[in-house]
Amino acid sequence: MSDESRSGLDAVDEGVLVEGAASPYNEAPPEARNDHASVAALYQRFGGAVVRHQVNAGGQHVVFVDPSRSLEILTWLRDDAEHRYDMCSDVTAVDYGAGRPVNVVYQLFSTTHKRALRVRCELPLDALEIDSVMPLWKGVDWLEREVFDLFGITFRGHPDLRRILMPHDYAEGYPLRKDFPLRGRFSREEQTRRALNQDPERFYIPEEFEVGGAVQEVRLPPVNVTAAPDRGTTAGES
Amino acid sequence: MGLIDRTRGIFVGPEAPTFLTTKLDFFVNWARRNSLWPMPFGTACCAIEMMASAASNYDLSRFGMERMSFSPRQADVLICAGRVPYKLAPVLRRVWDQMPQPKWSISMGACASSGGVFDVYSMVQGIDTIIPVDVYIPGCPPRPEALIYGLMMIQEKIRQESLNDHYALRSEDPATVARPRAAGEELVGLTGPFGNSTQQDRLSGLAVTPAAFPSDDPSSDF
Repeated sequence: MSDESRSGLDAVDEGVLVEGAASPYNEAPPEARNDHASVAALYQRFGGAVVRHQVNAGGQHVVFVDPSRSLEILTWLRDDAEHRYDMCSDVTAVDYGAGRPVNVVYQLFSTTHKRALRVRCELPLDALEIDSVMPLWKGVDWLEREVFDLFGITFRGHPDLRRILMPHDYAEGYPLRKDFPLRGRFSREEQTRRALNQDPERFYIPEEFEVGGAVQEVRLPPVNVTAAPDRGTTAGES
Repeated sequence: MGLIDRTRGIFVGPEAPTFLTTKLDFFVNWARRNSLWPMPFGTACCAIEMMASAASNYDLSRFGMERMSFSPRQADVLICAGRVPYKLAPVLRRVWDQMPQPKWSISMGACASSGGVFDVYSMVQGIDTIIPVDVYIPGCPPRPEALIYGLMMIQEKIRQESLNDHYALRSEDPATVARPRAAGEELVGLTGPFGNSTQQDRLSGLAVTPAAFPSDDPSSDF
């Protein structure tokens, strides 16, 4: 089979990654870094931590960074005035199977500069841990829980890391990993028995019950009366 | 029909005295089958068709399903419309256990009846493994006509019931509440190698998932 006829799915099934083989990643040429201001700046500032750079279909720039420095790099991307990626629209993960590292994917967007950037971190299968970006974007709370639930990646510093989609006492592993059998590890009998034994109330913590409970009192900030302009006089009149 | 005039103690009216005799079976079944209130348990696209059945074009109320009863305690027939994941299984079982007798259930669509295309780790392989089912409606999703036909089959089933059989049909064993309905062998049979295009078995796997989930320990709380 010639290389031209290979589809992306063939690459997934080709087996254990051979050391020293040509990179399966379609790396962009170095001059492509200058097409995206943030990519060029990342190479300049975090040169050693940037592993590679791709340009995907549709001109989506993807930067692979060192997972041990991901929080530092993402903090800089969010806070630096030239970049200001203030929106993290998605956190997800990809398992390519065959012992390849699991990728954590951050999809960022800068509402200031109208610019998108995808940051990926490769985690080896024996060290599936990465810093949580909850301190940067509060909205990634459930996204990181989902990745934890389905891929088994631990997010260091996440305040409430527990399963979100699967039952809290799910014991069959992490369903979106490539080594996970499609029908799960237990028999249907055991799965049904466990399902009916679960207590749906235990899916939630007490704070979550309160969300749908009593009507919350709306607290508006107190109106500062003295600071209101006096409509009877104008400046200089007194 | 005449009315009773209490002052004179006789029937009054143009056709008095008239009265009606009927079999108790017929009368009870007539009352039951013409006021079936459905408990909608809509989880997926079948629920859209169920809503269409209740809306003015198909108008379920013509057949006595006067309103969707969103409370299981005021419902007669459970319509499970859509796929049921294992996480939802105890909820479905509890809704069914909360419904008072006499009660019936409809499994609407391929997923509720058999798991459908979702022969996967997360999906109940037919709600009849969890609750008893009276009528299975095929389709993906079934059209509103099919749901109405299914409800009419339940009406027909009620029509043929007799109060003599009441305890045989309606008694419930408290020990089976919140338990699987299908026997273990039946459930194991569902795991047979059919319909699964991936040819995986449970023990295969390219690698072993390294770490156990921390909360697998039953003593830990979360």
